Amino acid sequence: MSGFAGDVVTSALWAAGMQSLGRSFKYHRPRGVLSFANHDVNVLLEDAAHINLRGDVTPLMQDMDLAAVNTFGNAGIKGDRAAILDRLSGFLPVGFYYKAFHRPKWLAPRWEGFFRFMSGLGRVKFDAPRVVTPKRYGFCDVLVIGTGPAGLSAAIAAASAGARVLAVDENARPGGSLGFARAGGDEALSRLNQLLESLRALPNVEIRSGTCAAGYYTDHWVSLIDAQRMTKVRARSVIFASGVFEQPAVFRNNDVPGVMLASGAQRLIYRYGVKPMETAVVLAANREGYEVALDLLRHGVQVAALVDLRQGGEPSAAGQRVAAAGVRVLTGYCIDEAVASGSSVSGALVCPLSQSGEPNRACAASISCDGILMSVGFTPAANLLYQAGARMRYDDQVEQFVPAQLPEGVYAAGRVNGVYDLEHKLRDGERAGLEAAKHAGYGSADSMLSAQEAVQRERRKPSHSYPIFSHPAGKNFVDFDEDLQLRDFFNAAQEGFDNIELLKRYTTVGMGPSQGKHSNMNAVRILARIRGEPIEKVGTTTARPFFHPVPMSHLAGRGFHAMRRTPLHARHDAAGALFMQAGNWWRPEYYAAAGKTKLECVREEVRAVRTAVGLIDVGTLGKMDLFGPDAAEFLERMYTGRFANLKVGMTRYAVMVDESGVVIDDGVVGRLSDQHFYFTTTTTGSANVYRELTRLNTMWGLQAGVVNVTGAYAAMNLAGPRSRDVLAPLTTLDLSSQAFPYLGLREGEVAGVPVRMMRVGFVGELGYEIHARAEHAVTLWDALMRAGSAHGIRPFGVEAQRLLRLEKGHIIIGQDTDGLTTPFEAALEWAIKMDKPFFVGQRSLKIIQERPRKHKLVGFNLSPGFAGAAPKECHLVIRDGDIAGRVTSIAYSESLDRHVGMAFVPPDMAADGTRFNIRADGGHMVEAQVVKTPFYDPASDRQKAA
Amino acid sequence: MTAALRQSPLHDAFLTLRPVLGIVHGMRVPLRLPGDGGTLTLALSDASCLPRMGVKGPQAEQWLRSQGVEMPLGVNAWTRGNDGMLIARLARSEFFLEDRMGGTSVERLSATLRPAPGVYPVTRQDAALVLTGALVNELLVQTCNVDFQHWRLEQPTVVMTSMVGVSVLILWHPLKAQPCYRIWCDGTFGPYLWETLLEIARELGGGAIGLESLFPETPGLVDKSRT
Repeated sequence: MSGFAGDVVTSALWAAGMQSLGRSFKYHRPRGVLSFANHDVNVLLEDAAHINLRGDVTPLMQDMDLAAVNTFGNAGIKGDRAAILDRLSGFLPVGFYYKAFHRPKWLAPRWEGFFRFMSGLGRVKFDAPRVVTPKRYGFCDVLVIGTGPAGLSAAIAAASAGARVLAVDENARPGGSLGFARAGGDEALSRLNQLLESLRALPNVEIRSGTCAAGYYTDHWVSLIDAQRMTKVRARSVIFASGVFEQPAVFRNNDVPGVMLASGAQRLIYRYGVKPMETAVVLAANREGYEVALDLLRHGVQVAALVDLRQGGEPSAAGQRVAAAGVRVLTGYCIDEAVASGSSVSGALVCPLSQSGEPNRACAASISCDGILMSVGFTPAANLLYQAGARMRYDDQVEQFVPAQLPEGVYAAGRVNGVYDLEHKLRDGERAGLEAAKHAGYGSADSMLSAQEAVQRERRKPSHSYPIFSHPAGKNFVDFDEDLQLRDFFNAAQEGFDNIELLKRYTTVGMGPSQGKHSNMNAVRILARIRGEPIEKVGTTTARPFFHPVPMSHLAGRGFHAMRRTPLHARHDAAGALFMQAGNWWRPEYYAAAGKTKLECVREEVRAVRTAVGLIDVGTLGKMDLFGPDAAEFLERMYTGRFANLKVGMTRYAVMVDESGVVIDDGVVGRLSDQHFYFTTTTTGSANVYRELTRLNTMWGLQAGVVNVTGAYAAMNLAGPRSRDVLAPLTTLDLSSQAFPYLGLREGEVAGVPVRMMRVGFVGELGYEIHARAEHAVTLWDALMRAGSAHGIRPFGVEAQRLLRLEKGHIIIGQDTDGLTTPFEAALEWAIKMDKPFFVGQRSLKIIQERPRKHKLVGFNLSPGFAGAAPKECHLVIRDGDIAGRVTSIAYSESLDRHVGMAFVPPDMAADGTRFNIRADGGHMVEAQVVKTPFYDPASDRQKAA
Repeated sequence: MTAALRQSPLHDAFLTLRPVLGIVHGMRVPLRLPGDGGTLTLALSDASCLPRMGVKGPQAEQWLRSQGVEMPLGVNAWTRGNDGMLIARLARSEFFLEDRMGGTSVERLSATLRPAPGVYPVTRQDAALVLTGALVNELLVQTCNVDFQHWRLEQPTVVMTSMVGVSVLILWHPLKAQPCYRIWCDGTFGPYLWETLLEIARELGGGAIGLESLFPETPGLVDKSRT
């Protein structure tokens, strides 16, 4: 088929005489144009690279190859095999899905497969090329959402006051209803041109068309979505001139192609030059319906009848002009049914309305036509207003929700504000523009229009209070996305879902891609009618960002994942390291060697540390300097241990708990001078610990200063029986155990680099943790590796370190503890000094201390000859068929020639020698035995080596 | 001062760009890069070699004044001393100092600074980036949520914010009639920040440049006694 440049897919198809443009979600009914405003999803298409393209806004391009989504078989929309579901609709009422899964249970998996096969719009294309959609930030003084008459007027007023204005509109061109609702004349177009002319004279206004404001966030952050990207705009004030969504009437077959919203027909005419039908019946309940009839007449469409739901008809000039044009006007009538011929409209069955508003079918008459237009009312496009925190109220005068109270810096203008007549909209926009500019710091109070003076809501009703008509044969749709009929709502209410939030979830009204733009208001009206309560009391559902679907690629953006690298990263890379993520760091997991498995490499690294010497990069540890006369007191309060008595030149293990007594971090505290401590935290805990230290330091007002030097210092642990031999030639420091004992801390130089050096024993061997400024890390590492080459040095990674520390029974916070573990459960009682006057979490620990333990961390081993599939971390400890605990760490120790591990078990299973079962993969049980830690070198002689 | 050669946090990143290297301020730096001298719309450079230091604490301002250091006008403001040193006030009691190319003030102050009640040294090992060029604001709106367009030299401002997920310190000043932004971040985030910004800069027609393009005095400062 062919079309014109400037066409969208829908307009080109409609112009070519194709009216069935898609299939509905549930019953696979044919669908055509509804809003033609991108407010419905009747026309959803896909091509080789994209899914769910919206035909109403997808520009027509040369050689497009498109297919409708949600059809089965090879015949596309016309031959959709799933159309049979329309005939079975009586068996698929609302709530069918939930009930199907409920009983019988054995059918649930089959239903799941069926639903997954049948449902969903479009198929994900895993081979589609990646589209780069970098996000942007944007800034302005006043953001105007919507460039209809009120929005344009607001933008002009705000910019004239000096504000930097950004005005956005989801449509391809600015102008809003001025561009397509012309009442058969040219005045609207002329006014639009005047407004655009005024705007062009203002250099401080930017207009972005084709841009949807899809989400509002605190402090006037608004996400703007265009074809290429998401822009996060920060404004000083925001004007919502977002207009309204036209609402459908509910009558039988109101979804047949050819039945459309009146504004949809106007858009076809004025935006794309497409005649929407030859002969129309207009269903109206407002002045706009008559104006649509005038537009139709002007463009050669015969109006067979104007069916007005109101008894009094339309008293305005538009009403008189329609009558003067000879159009048959039926007041107090409704359309009871759209008569379908094949997949399109062939007539309208009209009925007079009774006093109670019910169709009097005894007097029904048929009118031939090939199109039915619905002009029965509107609902405000207030989704973002709700997100901004606006309080809305239902105004009976205009039969719509209007803002009752707006947050600071947020303004509403135009139809979203309940203001409909053009002059009033322009004035309301001007008022909002001036107020928003003033809020942003521009203009003066004198320039303000009085809000009372400006907001002039109509005395007429642009919307009908209940344009909804039941029909014994149903197929009168309320939600076109979800194929929800009127009776579905009555059934839902009868089943007890008669609260608007429950009704929404049970029926799924408003939960389709249109997000309720054409269904939520009618659902509220129906529920109010069912409950016999005013609409105000029924309320509305919550509107969350994004109120309009946004492509996943836009949300992903470029994808920023900030990862840290130690200064030694390239050295590890060159040595064959395979990296793993540890928090936001890259760390070497192990160093690969050609022809060797990971396990072999790790065991060689472990062997090097146990028998010779190894070097590991521990620069990822959190590192803090703490200064000041109250530094020791600060540590006393922060950590569970005692630090006031820590001697200069010595270190001590430190445990941190939170207010509830849960272990949250550990590390080593060293004292460099009376008023200067240097200490480490866990790799993943450093940022949180520093934040907490800073907070408490501010709160306590101690004379202490904390400096986070995590990134400023590199650190490496030289460990193994030969480590002293490696280090000695590189430093003038006396490394003898007398001069530099176990747990000692020294400052000096290694290989000409100033260092802080701690004698530590995390891996259970003679070891030196050497800290130096990051800029010297490579010099230091290279010197150690060179000096170590004669001693068999090799770098080791996280995997080897985990095994080495496990052999020593040293815990890793976050692995051997969880978010509820207290020091009493983690076998850390020795590190808790409950007799101190105060430390964070002490009060909780005092309470916990008196309570019975629920579980305890113990060491365990498997039998020496165990050869089966070993348990893994997180496997469960089972007693009498019930879960009794879990494994936190486990590994095979070559040094001990058996599997060793740690597990949480109940206190009555924690005694040495207790045997227990672990359920391993596949469900088989593995017997383990509680043993004391350390497993390796129980007296720790090796790390204390003289 | 140690004789050990300093290494930039961005060393491994710029090494892939085939730079002409030289040692400035004890650090091996990219003096020239293949893109130098062209008409880049957006240029990124590594200025990590400039000596810098930090000091915080309730007496930090008093100590700096006692050393003759000029004070910025307020918090989140910066100034340049008579010796060309950049002094930024990050908080009421926290300061960041960076020497000019070839300057010795930071070295002098560092040697003087000792921890004392209310005066606490802050070890700085930042990755220091320079962003300049006509399209620099286009890069910034893709990476940072601060509105820089209102910044004026009359009110020299420094902000701590987030750029591509990294905490950074940013200030602006003109350079050769082009906007120029100085960006500092924790050195361990430096390679990620550099690579991410360079990728975006290249998409915008920019690239990396050597230090000589930014600091014409650099050639005279190269330590030729070390390689």
